[in-house]
Amino acid sequence: MSKPPDLVQGTLDLLVLKILALQPLHGWALSQRLKQVSGDVLQVSDGSLYPALHKLEQQGWIQSEWKPTENNRRAKFYSLTRLGKRHLEQEAANWERISTAISDVLRLREV
Amino acid sequence: MRFQNWLFTIPLRLRSVIRRNRMNADLNEELRDHIDRQIEENLARGMNKEEARLAALRTFGNLVALREQTYETWAWAPVERLWQDILYAFRSLRRAPLPSAVAIVALSLGIGLNTGVFTLLNAMFLKPPTLKDPRSFVQLFPQYSGWFTGADQYASFTSEDFDAIRTHSHALDVAAWQRFPVLFEQENRSISTVQVTCNYFHVLGADRARMGRFFAETECTHGAHVTVLSEPFWKSQLGADPHIVGKTIQLSGMPVVVIGIAPSDAFIVGGVFLPYTLEPQFNHARNLLTSPDTPWLSMIGRLQPGFRRADAKAELLTIMSRQDRAYVERKVTAFNRKTSLVLTNGSFIENPAVRTNIIGVMALILGPLSLILLLACSNVTMLFLSRTIARSGEIAMRVALGAERFRLAGMLLVESLFIVCIGGALSVILAYRVPLLIMNIVDPSEANTVVIRPDWQVFGYLAVLIAAATVISSLMPIRAAWKLDLVTALKGREGAATVRSRTTNGLIVVQIALSFVLICAAVMFGRIPGLIRGMNPGFEMHQIVAVPLDVDTSSSNRAKAAVFYRTLEAKILAIPGAQSLAYAGLQPFNQDPPSEIRLPGQAKGSGQPASVDDVSSSFFSAFDIRALQGRLFFATDASATRADSAAVISQAFARQFWPGGDPLGKTIVMPDERHLTVVGVVADTRSERFGVLDGPRIYTLRSPSDVGGNLYVRFTGSTKPLENAIRDTVKGLDPTLLVTPETVWESLEAGAESMTSLAKIILIMASIALLMAVTGVYSVLSFSMNQRRREFGIKMVLGASRVSIFRSVLFHTTKNIGIGLICGFALAEPALLLFNRLLSRSPLPINRFDPTVFGSSALLLTAVSLIALYLPAYRATRTDPMRVLRTE
Repeated sequence: MSKPPDLVQGTLDLLVLKILALQPLHGWALSQRLKQVSGDVLQVSDGSLYPALHKLEQQGWIQSEWKPTENNRRAKFYSLTRLGKRHLEQEAANWERISTAISDVLRLREV
Repeated sequence: MRFQNWLFTIPLRLRSVIRRNRMNADLNEELRDHIDRQIEENLARGMNKEEARLAALRTFGNLVALREQTYETWAWAPVERLWQDILYAFRSLRRAPLPSAVAIVALSLGIGLNTGVFTLLNAMFLKPPTLKDPRSFVQLFPQYSGWFTGADQYASFTSEDFDAIRTHSHALDVAAWQRFPVLFEQENRSISTVQVTCNYFHVLGADRARMGRFFAETECTHGAHVTVLSEPFWKSQLGADPHIVGKTIQLSGMPVVVIGIAPSDAFIVGGVFLPYTLEPQFNHARNLLTSPDTPWLSMIGRLQPGFRRADAKAELLTIMSRQDRAYVERKVTAFNRKTSLVLTNGSFIENPAVRTNIIGVMALILGPLSLILLLACSNVTMLFLSRTIARSGEIAMRVALGAERFRLAGMLLVESLFIVCIGGALSVILAYRVPLLIMNIVDPSEANTVVIRPDWQVFGYLAVLIAAATVISSLMPIRAAWKLDLVTALKGREGAATVRSRTTNGLIVVQIALSFVLICAAVMFGRIPGLIRGMNPGFEMHQIVAVPLDVDTSSSNRAKAAVFYRTLEAKILAIPGAQSLAYAGLQPFNQDPPSEIRLPGQAKGSGQPASVDDVSSSFFSAFDIRALQGRLFFATDASATRADSAAVISQAFARQFWPGGDPLGKTIVMPDERHLTVVGVVADTRSERFGVLDGPRIYTLRSPSDVGGNLYVRFTGSTKPLENAIRDTVKGLDPTLLVTPETVWESLEAGAESMTSLAKIILIMASIALLMAVTGVYSVLSFSMNQRRREFGIKMVLGASRVSIFRSVLFHTTKNIGIGLICGFALAEPALLLFNRLLSRSPLPINRFDPTVFGSSALLLTAVSLIALYLPAYRATRTDPMRVLRTE
């Protein structure tokens, strides 16, 4: 399955935004970075990154630019837009709230 | 997404549409770059070249699918997909022009007929009768309890009540009207006038006359002899005389001056309008204007600014309850009147008195029409189905390559939407034409004067029909594509299961069933005019003229009326050709409720129903009704004492009351406790329903001193001169009296005539249905024969003869036709039941189960479908086994 499950799809967008907030990256570098930070938890094929990237771009949260890289090659670099920054903040806050709530629930002990 | 975000992304979205190719190239380069980098990485890890490439591709995932998914994220991908589908639909339409054309024509007929008729129904039943601000228009329906009108009847208003509402209501500006027939002397025929209050046109929303002017308020206060004509009337009856205003026309002996022409675009129903205060001068039987307890005025109104319908209702109820109190206090009668009100928007369907009937009529009209649409849809379904099956290889390939089935279903849906939309667009023409055509058939003289145009409601209906047609006609092809067995389809041969597909059988059954219902309706209505004309009612119809008289016979005027009748009788008998006069209580082909007749000793309530006709002694000879037993009335019978007066009964009555016995000399008890002795038995007649023997009937002898009743004149010689002579005689006696003498046969003819036009319309629709059924059955069969060619080839190789194959095809299809007929019967029965209920008070003989109708429809349909079957079946038997098998 190249299409990640829904839950992961949502978090994938968040992760991509977060990583791009740190520095502009091209697709491959981004996928490497994703693997690196998430370990093997996110079982996503490399390719499924691209539909996600293009969707984020269409939504205006990230923008892309072809830039030269090492030894005369060029690659499409993605970076966060102002809108994307705001969206990321909101989503991160959301995520924080939900995950706190969920972990609070999970930490409940039977009385 | 928030608005500003949306705004921000517009350029991006636009770019993705406009610079498609560029974006494609970009995406390809981007993906390639990713894979290249991965390969490099893998090489660096020490894999060899081939391994590195394969590993990189593997971790990347399905390149094609991912690219598709990315396309999907680009803006307006759905639009693009739709466009592809439309192009595809267009190509496949061009590839099979003839079947597509048939399907489109069938659809446009189906949709067009439906919308056209709906346009008509919409204008007649659903719309308020005003063009100007329909929301403020109301119509008032009073309902009285504790009055003679009956508790659940909707009635009209008395003059007093109307005046009270007019003076006291703040919420409503009211107008009133009544229809009244008068004699239009220029044409010498009866026309219906509308007697209106002088603000009538204003309340209806027509402010300017087409010519001249409308009534002035003062013309109602003193009842001026003026009239406003409608545009259709002016055109059809007066030749659109441009100088008509100011001229005088004669109505029932009264001269009235034309003051204006009402425009036809204002939904004004009626031909001749008169001030309502003229009513007493036309109506000789009763003065309604001053009568305190005769409701006669229908009322409409306009809501004043700031008032809602509920406000108006509350206000009017208060006014009416005050009127009720005044009425009860003033009157000495036992009636304790209480009024309730219903306020509607004025459309016919909201009229509480006829609402259920109108809904029934609409169901009966739109029901068969939707069957035509369904037939058209099944034609289209067939087209798509055969196309889907023919393309099953291609579709299977698409599915195998990863096309989603939803996407496929969408494609098929768009294809059918495409065809249906073309049909729908064509049908708009029909929607404009059909109402006019129907009006032309029903009443050619008025067709061109009434404007009926589709409006948004009609187009809404059209849209619903198109949506329904799309879904219905694409259901089966989608199902076929959905359930496609990939393996067999890819191998290029159908499994045996799909060959005798249930779908094709089902389609034949559906088409036969639907058209059976329509043909039944056509046969039923087609028979009626002939049935009416060809029947033998058991009495004379041609040589007997009915003279409808409208004379005040109330006790105050009785002496005068008696003189009038006696003089008239003498004068009519003096007309050359007139033989005898007769009076009867019942009118032929009118249904009156039966009375309870008892035998001596029976308690009230235990008797049996029979119709009672109070006739003069000359009745039987005038109507040529034979005595079978005993004697008929003598003129002297009338002078006998009340206790043993004579009665003549019909055969049916004798059978009912004394089965097997001799009725002569027996005594019966009338509802008013009168005892009558049976002196004779006469033959049964068919005078209630067309072509149906009457139930038990008893004839009583009318007292010679009675006045009123239905007058009939028996004559010899030609009809017209006699009718004219009678009319002139009546006019000579009383110049204001309106009569149009007609023979019984002539009035029957008029009825048959109107049924003929209705039958014509239904016949046209049924022919369309039949045509659709034939093309449908033909296309289904030729499709399934094509599918079975290989099977036939193999059978022939194995020794089956052409005859046996033909026979098996014939048997199979006949079975389907049979099932279709049974289903059709099951559909037609409830419709007939409803129809019967609606027509229960008309003289039309509609049986619930008419074997002639069903039998002949079934025969016709079977014959036609067998013809449609012949060609495909014949072609199937001509199959050359070698050629078929060689393609294996």
